[in-house]
Amino acid sequence: MNRRHFLGQSLASAGLLAGCASSAPINISKAQVVVIGGGYGGATAAKYIRMFSNNTAQVTLIEPNADFISCPMSNLVIGGSRTMAEITSPYENLSKRHGVKLIKDMVESIDQKQKTVKLASGSTIKYDKLVVSPGVNLMMDQIKGLAEANQAGVTIQAWKAGPETVALHQQLAAMRDGGVYAISIPEAPFRCPPGPYERACQVASYFKKNKPKSKVLIFDANADIVSKAGLFRKAWATLYPGMIEYHPKFNVVAVDAKTKTLKFEVQDDVKADVLNILPLMRAGDIAVKSGIANANGRWVQVNFLNFEATAAKDIHVLGDSIQVAPLMPKSGHMANSHAKVAAAAIVAELGGLEVNSAPVLTNTCYSFVDATQVVHVASVHQYNAEEKTFKTVPGSGGLSPEPTTLEGIYAWGWAKNIWADSLA
Amino acid sequence: MPLIHFQQLMKFSAINLSLLGLILITSPSFAQTSASNMNNRSLAATSASNMNNRSLAATCANCHGTNGVVVPNSGMPDIGQLSKDEMLTKLMAYKSGAQPGTIMPQLAKGYTDEQLNTIASVLGKK
Repeated sequence: MNRRHFLGQSLASAGLLAGCASSAPINISKAQVVVIGGGYGGATAAKYIRMFSNNTAQVTLIEPNADFISCPMSNLVIGGSRTMAEITSPYENLSKRHGVKLIKDMVESIDQKQKTVKLASGSTIKYDKLVVSPGVNLMMDQIKGLAEANQAGVTIQAWKAGPETVALHQQLAAMRDGGVYAISIPEAPFRCPPGPYERACQVASYFKKNKPKSKVLIFDANADIVSKAGLFRKAWATLYPGMIEYHPKFNVVAVDAKTKTLKFEVQDDVKADVLNILPLMRAGDIAVKSGIANANGRWVQVNFLNFEATAAKDIHVLGDSIQVAPLMPKSGHMANSHAKVAAAAIVAELGGLEVNSAPVLTNTCYSFVDATQVVHVASVHQYNAEEKTFKTVPGSGGLSPEPTTLEGIYAWGWAKNIWADSLA
Repeated sequence: MPLIHFQQLMKFSAINLSLLGLILITSPSFAQTSASNMNNRSLAATSASNMNNRSLAATCANCHGTNGVVVPNSGMPDIGQLSKDEMLTKLMAYKSGAQPGTIMPQLAKGYTDEQLNTIASVLGKK
């Protein structure tokens, strides 16, 4: 009997006899865990379920993309200071080093009664535990004419890193000097709260160097900058004087692809050369289709001890798709943190052990104000048993005092380590 | 990168072995006293607390690498070289404000002293 096998049986038999186990355990080495989505949440969950079960639980990761392309750092590709290769990582280490079974496919549907998922390719996979980490879906129909404008190649979101990231940079490269780039921001919550403001910095950084007569217009449906407000305001004023205009409470309701015009709920129309229109967001399609997105039909409510959807047993939901706890951002770092809490809980439940009653989450988010200078926001979230939610610890967390190149080095250090932590 | 892989394996093994040790120690009484709830409970609690400790320490891994094994030349401090005591001293200094830094003073304040002790126990060089 090898060690892994022995450990698997020990965990399982411990559970079978444990008087305090909350649910009937199964033999963990026969447990099938299926993970939908290989982003920061899903990839991390797949790896850590293998690790925490001492490589006994069978884990299958279903992801349509051939490689992992990071949203964090992708604004630098849009601004032209970095390449796609620098933000791309392979999935293969999850199988080579951790024994995760990788399937390149999409999940069409979940059968909660049979406990199976159906793939786009037609096959069906059985699960004992399902992890759903599908990221966000952009609600294109919430802005009139947006789907058509996208199809015509006029508007672009680039809010999921990939071909659109390159396409947006190409639009900026093709724009005349003296042109206008406009980014519109939906009402919070949306993926990556500081992302749009960092992107404005990166586009301005590109313009300053290459097309100095050009302008960056930010139209924000929110009343103020959603994250790192003071730091961004100062960076815009000092690094890009006269180039960036910020307009709060501007809610885009329609776009005209032919005339490249934005229409607002209240204010007058605005024309731009490059239109980066971000609509409202909701949980990824599979979560909404499965009926587990029970917060306004947009986000999934979860039990924060194990990230199980409140609407479905044995379905654990991570990352941007969930209805967040107070001050919890929809970020890659947070999704990775969710995944570790969920992984430990899933292994505990499968092995008949008690689920951790005091989990901890952290968030660290670096934003580049130009190609090398960076500011951060950080927080620590402890589980509060009375309120059954995560709460930030008073006196902890906070912002950078100012942009520095030292934090630029740490930002890349963060990226390389979280990519390895999630995928290698 | 065979070196990291090897280091990671070493770390995994150390942790796995400690878990194995705990199970082995409790297993004989487990087998002999067939259905003592007390023993079963302590066995389950031991394994669960071991995993909870690893899970807590994993909140550091996003920046400092899985099991504290940092990506080489990534620009991030290599905490894997610190002993348990060195790590705990450093974490407590960040928490009290004695040790300046960029992000660590803000993060360290979010953990209880006991949690920092647990993290140092799991990640400190053995």
